[in-house]
Formats: sequence, C-alpha cells, structure tokens
Amino acid sequence: MPMAGTPRTPRSTWLGVLSTVALAALAAALPWLGVSSYLRTLVYYAAYYLALGQAWNLMSGLTGYVSFAHGALAGIGAYAAVIALNAGWPMAAALGAAVAVTGLASLVIGATSLRLHGTAFTFATLFFQELVLLVLRKLPFTGGPGGMVLQEILPVWLPYVMMMAVAAGATIAMALVRRSRVGVRVLAIKNDEAAAAAVGIDSTRLKLALFCASAGIAGLVGAVHGIFAASLYPDVLFSVDISLVALAVPLIGGVATVSGPLAGAILYVGLREVLQVIAPALHLTIVGLLLLAVVLFMREGIVVALARIVTRRRPRMTPAALGAGRGD
Amino acid sequence: MSLTLSLQLLVNGLVFGGLLGLVALGLALIFGVMRVVNFAHGEFITLGAYATYLLVTRLAVSPLLGIPLAFGLGALLGWLIQMAVMARVTSRPELEVLMVTYALSVVGLGLFAQAFGGDFRSYAEGPSGNLSLGGVVVGWRSLTVLISCLVMGAATLLLIQRARIGLGLRAIAQNRDAAATCGVNVLASERVAFSLAVGLAAAAGALVSLIGTTMPTVGHEWVLDGFVVVVLGGMGSISGALAASLALGLIHSFASYVMDDSWARILTYLLLYITILVRPHGLLGRRVEA
Amino acid sequence: MTVLRAEGLHKRFSGVIAVKDVDLSVAEGELLGLFGPNGAGKTTVFNLIAGAFYPDEGRIRLNDEDITRLPAFRRARLGIGRTFQVVRPFRTLSVLENVLATVPSDDATARHDAETAFELLSQVGLAERAHDPAGELTLGMLKRLEVARALALSPRLLLLDEPIAGLTTREAGELLKFIRSLKARTSVVMVEHNVRLALPICDRAVVMDAGMVIAEGAPAEIRVHPEVVRAYLGEAAE
Repeated sequence: MPMAGTPRTPRSTWLGVLSTVALAALAAALPWLGVSSYLRTLVYYAAYYLALGQAWNLMSGLTGYVSFAHGALAGIGAYAAVIALNAGWPMAAALGAAVAVTGLASLVIGATSLRLHGTAFTFATLFFQELVLLVLRKLPFTGGPGGMVLQEILPVWLPYVMMMAVAAGATIAMALVRRSRVGVRVLAIKNDEAAAAAVGIDSTRLKLALFCASAGIAGLVGAVHGIFAASLYPDVLFSVDISLVALAVPLIGGVATVSGPLAGAILYVGLREVLQVIAPALHLTIVGLLLLAVVLFMREGIVVALARIVTRRRPRMTPAALGAGRGD
Repeated sequence: MSLTLSLQLLVNGLVFGGLLGLVALGLALIFGVMRVVNFAHGEFITLGAYATYLLVTRLAVSPLLGIPLAFGLGALLGWLIQMAVMARVTSRPELEVLMVTYALSVVGLGLFAQAFGGDFRSYAEGPSGNLSLGGVVVGWRSLTVLISCLVMGAATLLLIQRARIGLGLRAIAQNRDAAATCGVNVLASERVAFSLAVGLAAAAGALVSLIGTTMPTVGHEWVLDGFVVVVLGGMGSISGALAASLALGLIHSFASYVMDDSWARILTYLLLYITILVRPHGLLGRRVEA
Repeated sequence: MTVLRAEGLHKRFSGVIAVKDVDLSVAEGELLGLFGPNGAGKTTVFNLIAGAFYPDEGRIRLNDEDITRLPAFRRARLGIGRTFQVVRPFRTLSVLENVLATVPSDDATARHDAETAFELLSQVGLAERAHDPAGELTLGMLKRLEVARALALSPRLLLLDEPIAGLTTREAGELLKFIRSLKARTSVVMVEHNVRLALPICDRAVVMDAGMVIAEGAPAEIRVHPEVVRAYLGEAAE
C-alpha cells in the first residue's frame, strides 16, 4: 500500500480497481457456489462494515474532520428506501431517494458547520445524530418508536449482491479520490488549512463536496442494509454503535488509506464472532481498547504496523498517514 | 400560569441547571486549559453514579458521604488517566486527541454495560420527603442536589479565581506558551485541571444517582446537554457555561410543562444549530483570530 | 504599472493598533523590501495583503481589482503567492505533491502538471527529493519548497515572509540570489529582519515602526535615513 511520497502510477490504481471488482464479484457469487449461509452472512457484514468505513474515511479520514453522524446518515438512508419501496417505487428509485435525502441532509449540516473549526463540525454531527433519533420517533410516517417493516418480500441474495457492489464502489471511489489531485488537496487541508488557502485551495467547498459524497454513500449503505434487515427500529438503527463502527473500522485498519478499512472490516467481523462466543457484552470495551491502542501506538493503523513487522523495516521518521502536523 | 406553578418550575429548573452547570464546569475547564473536548466526560458521570450506588447498597454508606467519595474516586482516576493517556497526546492533531477521549468513553460504556447490564438502578436511602414552602414543593433530594452543586461550583470558582493554582490555569487558558515562560508548570496544571474536572463529573454522577435512575448510558445523556451548554456559552468560557446551564435548565423546565420532553429537546438542538451558524464562538465567547 | 496598491490600511487587535494609516504600492517587476524593528507591523501588513485577515479600514487593489474583502484562497488564485515566517509545509505529502496541491490561476491550469511541478522543483534545487515526504526536509529545503509552492501559482505578486530567517549565511545568499532572479516573472514584496543581507537586492525599501511607515525609497537613501537609524538603534545612536 503506497504511503505518502511513493508515486502512484495510473497503472497501479487501475490494477487496484480491477482487483476490487474481481473480489466483489467473487463474493457476490458465493450464494451460488454452495457456501454456507453462516459464511455468507459473515461476508455480508464484512462488506457492510467496509462500505460504511470507506464512506467515513472519504470524509473524516481525508479531511481530519471527525463525523459522528454516519450512523444517523445510514439510518436515514434505510428509512428513505423502505418508505419508498413500501410506496411502490422501483428499487433504483428507492435507492436514489436514499442517496438524495442523505445528500441533502449533509448539505445542510455541512454548509453551516464546515466553515468553522473542526470541533464545531464534530459537535454539529453529534447533535445531528441525536436530533434525527428524536425526530424519527415523532414523525407519523416513520412508524414511531416501533419502527417500520419492509412490506415486500425480496429474495435474500438481492441485498447481499447489492452490498457487495456498494462496498466495491465505495472502495473504488476512495481510491480514485485519494490518488487524484483532489486527494492531494484534501490532505493538504488536513495538514495545514491556512497554508492550503495560501495556495488557492477552497477548503470549505472541498470539505463540503467530500462530506456530501460521503453521506450519499452512507445513505446507500444504510438503504441496502435496511432492505437486508427488512425491519427497522429507530433505536437499533441510530444507535451510537453504527457511528462507532463507521469510524473504528478505518481507524483501526488504517485511516486515509484504501486498504485500511478492508483490514479493519475483516478484523471487526472476526472480533464480533469471537466475542459472541466468549463474552458478548465485552464487545464495546474491546473495540474501545483497540481504538485507544491504535491511536496511541499505531497511528497509521494495523495494516501498516503489521507490514512493518513483516518486512522488518525500521520505522522512518515518516509522519503518520493519520497525522497532520499542527501548523507552527 | 399561577405564581405557585411558576415558582415550582423555577425551582425544578434551578436543580436541573445546577447539575448541568457542574457537568459543564468540568467540560469547560478541560477545554479551556487543555483545548481538549472530553468525550469521555459522560462515562465519568456514570462512574460516580454507579460508585455511589454500590457504596449505598453494598456498604451501607450514606449517599451524602457518597458525593465526596465519588469526587475523590473521580479525581484519582482523572489523575491517572491524564498521566497515562492524555499527556501522551498533547501535541497531536485534533483528530487523534478526539479519538482518544472517544475511545475512553467507549471503553467505559462497555465496562459499565458488562458489569451492570442494562437495568435501571436506584436506591431509597438518603434524604426523603418534601419541603413545602408556601405551595411550592421541593423534594429534599432535589434540594440536596442543588445545594451540593452550589457548594462545589462555588469552591471550584474560588479555586480558579483566588488560588495560585487557579491563576496558573487561567494563564494557560489564555496563552499556553506565555504561561510556560512565566514559570507556570503547565504539565502539572493540566493534570490538576483534568483531575478536578473528572472529580466534579463523578460527584455530579453521585447526585444523579440520588435523584434519578442509574444505567450505563446515564452519563451520556447528561454530557450531551453539557456539550450544548458549553458550545452555547462559548467554548472554554466558564462563566458562559454556567450562565447557559442556568438558562437551559429553566428553558427545559418550562418547556417540558408546555410540550412533551422530546419536542423540548428537539427545540434545544435546533436552537443550537442556529447558534453555531450565527455565532460559532458561542453566545458569550470571544472570537479567536485565524 | 502598479501591481498592488494598498491605501489607508488600519488594523487593531483588541486594544493594540498594529497598523495605522499605511499606504503601500508595488510596481510591476519590482522587488520591494519591507523592514522595521520587532512589532513594527510589517507582518500584519503582509497578512492583510495576503488575506489572512481583513483591515478595519483601507483598501487593497490588485491590478485595479479591489481585493480588500476577498478570502485568502481567492487572492491566491488571482495571483498572490506567499510564504510563511515559520514554514508550513504539507508534511505528510511528498515534495512534489506539495507543489501539485496548488490551485493555479485560471490561465495556467492547463500547464499545471507533474512536469511543470518538477521544473519548479529543479529551479529551487529540490528535484532529487521530489518523492520524499516533506516532513523529512531540513529548514533550508523547506523554505525553498515554500517558494516553489508559491511560484506554482504563476503569481503576479510574491509575498515572502522572512525567507532567510534561520538559514546559514551561504544558504541565505543563495536564496536571495534566486529571489532576485524572480523579478523577471513576478513582483516581490519581502519582509526581512536581516537588513544587511536583504536591503542590497531590493529595488525599493519601505521601513515601518510602531504601525506606521517612517521611510520609503532606494536602498542607499534608507541606509542613512535618520528615522530608520533611530527606529533600529534608538536615540543614543544618532
């Protein structure tokens, strides 16, 4: 995985895109390859976490502006899609509605708070999460605290395949942005916003664009998952848990990288399965400890840390891919 | 609205505002001195609540004694955490520091959920009954909470305004480097600030356990309001936070009478969004130059 | 032709008047030196022109366009490049990426690719370090990188904030020589403390003290100007 400094050839990027598509296609074909239902569910959840993680990564990983809203955004997407489907809309339109609604919501939050300091944005997303939960319990057409159910019975493989596609799409989007001039400029903002302005970068517009894209993807992920789950309960859907997953997966795996969330997602799924057997209630604690350990000691994420151990490279004085040095 | 009712709501608002002020005081202190938003603050409140619950139900300690004990526990824990964790990340970018406190909150939440499960806990010991003053009824428990908040709040403010260590804290809040060159021991001061703030949070938790039910997310609920208040009052401004706490307490009390709880909260958040938009540095805070 | 004209600049920071009624103009192809003792207000004037903050009073015009209230990034796109007193590189990006991050003025967009970025790096002598993370460079290299980054804007006006501070005499001499060569393609305003090294390469110099302009003219005049001597050396030196 290239780190800052190594030239990214267009060829290596296309190679990455192709392998992502191939992997997703393979995963999508599993239902027809006689793989057990248990394993398929694991793969599904890995893709779900991967997609959500990439969405978060696209915004918060690249800009350094932490969002706690991604759980709410995914939830809104779920509701939008289910409501649309229940009203008879075709699948594509329902998914489109999910993306549109979350995109709009993010535009509102972002336009108000992205002009400000990073902390203000984080608070704005935190309150958004709470606000959405409260409002959704109140609105008549969302079924209140009891939630709502998808009325149509859809084949199980449909949301499964869709999630593979979304996960692949999110990963490719992240790769394309990361390796483009836009990616360079966003990372410049993350390093030093004032210096970025001095070289002509319109940081507000860039942050807003990324946030909307990130939110749209999160909405799509939520929509597909809502279809998968088929019944939505506001407390489960908007629980802080989902926002936690969205940020823990890329942070633990390797923030602002393309392959970090993949590693993080696989690790997270594995962890969840193991803990299910041993100590289900310790789930939060372990994730929190992992997060703490990574931020304190392995700032670039587990992928890079392991790569170092495996190749026995001495860590250069390279600043972390996570880190953005404070302007002097 | 009759006078009696107004006074009743006023008193309720004061109790809520007082407790909120205690929470906000700790948050403002940490932000003012360390420029850190402590996302784990809620879990320290929960810690104080559970600690008091255990002291009361297992060791038959009076809840009133639980308050200072919770404070001590919190202060000690805050001291250790500052040394082991916070001190490591002082010069790191915002994203990382935020993640550290957030991770701590997740760990805390997980531990509480594991140890106590999702049930609501409460106890009957401690002050009981009501005080009746000309038609206005105040529970003795609520009164205890109000008085404790006033005492602790006043003591903290006195420390900040009068004591030498307080002078150091105020100096750091204004200009960290200048304070260091003037001989203020910045590291030790940060430790004191953090430890004090966590102690206050735990004490607030003890009070919460007295007038409410305790569950793993109890602190989280309070700290959200705490954040609202700190943002409204201007990040890091203690007087702003206290004023906003009072205001929010009263608004909440009166609004809850007129509309149901959820709408009151929705209103609060909407108000907050408008505030962030119009005056990002809070209602009372000062603008900071780029 | 005047590239920049600033008139009646006034800026206060809660009680302290940093800049008081300052006029400044820069001609095309001119290298203007801005000098003055600590606290004179030179960096504030600098930041006002660059757009770090806005003046309380006064106007700033870039080629007849009023830029007084434009945000910094717009000024950069109009062709004002700047460096910082304390270097602010994009540390986790490579040297080349630091230059590529620049958003050049519209007419130069087409040419702003890796090749032109490399060319700029060669000019400042950083071509071999193109793919190294910027965080690994020495101060001297970082100062040169900032100049390259600003040049990537194809600027009409280059603002250099203490470009040789912290450099060895040899590094300083080389950088100053390079700065002098830039006159062919852009106007330059340079704030500097080291009058001895910097004044000789300037076409014109402006000296500030206590927020106001106290002297203006050719280097030879400035050197012996009584106000300037007094500002730097105090009453006793007269």
